[in-house]
Amino acid sequence: MAMLLARKNLHALLRGAMEKKYRVVGPTRTAGIVLFAELSDPGALCLDELNTQNSIKEFFFPKSETLLTYTLGKKDVAIADDFAPPRTVLIGGRACDARSLVALDRLFGWDYKDKFYFKRREATCVITLACDRFDEACFCTSLGFGPRATEGSDILLVPAEGDAYIVEAVTDKGRALIAELEDVFTEGTPGAEKVAYPEKKFDLAAVKPWLERNFDHPIWKEEFLSCLGCGTCTYQCPMCHCFDIVDEGDIHGGARCKNWDSCQFALFTLHTSGHNPRPAQASRWRQRLRHKFVYYADKFGTEACVGCGRCIRNCPVRLSILDKLVLIGREAAAAPAPPAGAQPRGVTKRWRATTSIFRI
Amino acid sequence: MASDNIYLPYLMKVDGVRDETRDVRTLRLKFARDEDAAQFSFKAGQFGEYSVFGAGECTFCIANSPTRAGCVECTFRKAGRVTKALRDLEVGDTMGFRGPYGNVFPIESWYGKSVLFIAGGIALPPMRCVIWNCLDLRDKFKDITVVYGARTVGDLVYKDELKEWSERADMTLIQTVDPGGETPDWNGRIGFVPTVLEKAAPASAGTIAIVCGPPIMLKFTFPVLDRLGFPRASVYTTMENRMKCGLGKCGRCNVGGVYICKEGPVFTAEQVARMPAEY
Repeated sequence: MAMLLARKNLHALLRGAMEKKYRVVGPTRTAGIVLFAELSDPGALCLDELNTQNSIKEFFFPKSETLLTYTLGKKDVAIADDFAPPRTVLIGGRACDARSLVALDRLFGWDYKDKFYFKRREATCVITLACDRFDEACFCTSLGFGPRATEGSDILLVPAEGDAYIVEAVTDKGRALIAELEDVFTEGTPGAEKVAYPEKKFDLAAVKPWLERNFDHPIWKEEFLSCLGCGTCTYQCPMCHCFDIVDEGDIHGGARCKNWDSCQFALFTLHTSGHNPRPAQASRWRQRLRHKFVYYADKFGTEACVGCGRCIRNCPVRLSILDKLVLIGREAAAAPAPPAGAQPRGVTKRWRATTSIFRI
Repeated sequence: MASDNIYLPYLMKVDGVRDETRDVRTLRLKFARDEDAAQFSFKAGQFGEYSVFGAGECTFCIANSPTRAGCVECTFRKAGRVTKALRDLEVGDTMGFRGPYGNVFPIESWYGKSVLFIAGGIALPPMRCVIWNCLDLRDKFKDITVVYGARTVGDLVYKDELKEWSERADMTLIQTVDPGGETPDWNGRIGFVPTVLEKAAPASAGTIAIVCGPPIMLKFTFPVLDRLGFPRASVYTTMENRMKCGLGKCGRCNVGGVYICKEGPVFTAEQVARMPAEY
């Protein structure tokens, strides 16, 4: 026996949540594109697409978050920072989306705790759908997990034969929501699970050592020339978390906001003096790959990539991080690591007399 | 900041304004609330996020010494939106300050040694904090030497303090300006900081060197210190990169895997040598 949710009861589940005054967020079709957005009506839920264009991160780390508001007096300033996020049920994310939350928890929680992110995390119950299909951009299995992983989910719905989902309550928060909306769930004998696993495409264990060894390598110049620097990859990424802090207001007052930013923009690292430590698009791509697979892994014990494939599907020039990871895997296999203690390429003992302007 | 909002600044009152050059200004800030002042402390080398409400935040080192606390000072060049707004502030105006962030110069570990400061242009402010800290504990150190250069005579900052340091018998100040930047009455040296440093050839034995300047100056000064025989573990610098949060989250100040806001801004030359050439 297992807890089941009949597919036809999905709407009832959402209606129940709405009646209990939850904000319900899920995939919905807007102007032809399937996006995560607040649902005004359970019927707006759209599970046609494998993956939405945007990720779920914006419901925890919004595109623009007000950090404080200020009111300007003649000589004085009054500031306020009241913050209470709405109770939310977020349905329809995939295992990759849910996993990104666990990884982001580490960043927003280390040393200084970002209350905006964590209050939104606490107020949100994440209901994840295991995947019954995949496409050529999916690579969760290459990152060491799979489409029915429970990490980051409060409730996991696994599609099964018989037009039903097998319901796995993962956390106390998930169990509490199920108890609150118990009418829509049934007990029964589940049919066979319909979960589709993409094949493993590269050797993750080889990627980090290769990136560490090859700060300077021809692929940085050769493989990323077509990048436009539009930042779409970072905005659609569930893990990319770089932000800017700006004031927006008028002469009476306004708000200090934390806005999404992107390492793919030239202005991202530009110094006031005009010096830019990452002067070329290739150096920004190198930063993106090294941040995801080296720096984040070193600091937080997990890659800052969940293999959702959004950056690949949405790139205007079809630059695929997956292709590059496969290429790196091949390079690593062709040129294995030098013996321990050897000097890695890209970090020389001599001081470099040239500035980084002449380097990528 | 009793708040749980890590982005919430202290409210500060501008207490003093001093022009250093035609475009560089120093602000002295006092805490608007006494309880903030009472619990605030910092150490030499740390930085903060200074903000003007409506214009935004900007990152500078704390320019005054912790031995002369009670206020926070910042020295900045008018360059963009926030620094223009900072420059428009008058005594009594309210602004914001978040900090202190980052690591510190391990001054206690330098006791009993000589200290050599090398700074270029607008990089004297982050060093001024350490210089005064050492001068206020003068009997803990042997020789104290400051090598300071700017593009032109007009670009030298803290002119009053440079005069005071040049007159002190217990320290040496070597001032220089880039060729062409001198005035008829200039009696300092002429030449770039690394060149002047190499000619002055300060003794490296038992000496700690602290270097601060633009990336290009660092790249030419470190080899000079190598040649003068300074061990890289005895050479310190404070690095800068564009920063926003100061809290290790916004993701832009890293050089390789090192986040300057968290693991820095103070590094030894040994640590810098291990970083990829991306600064």
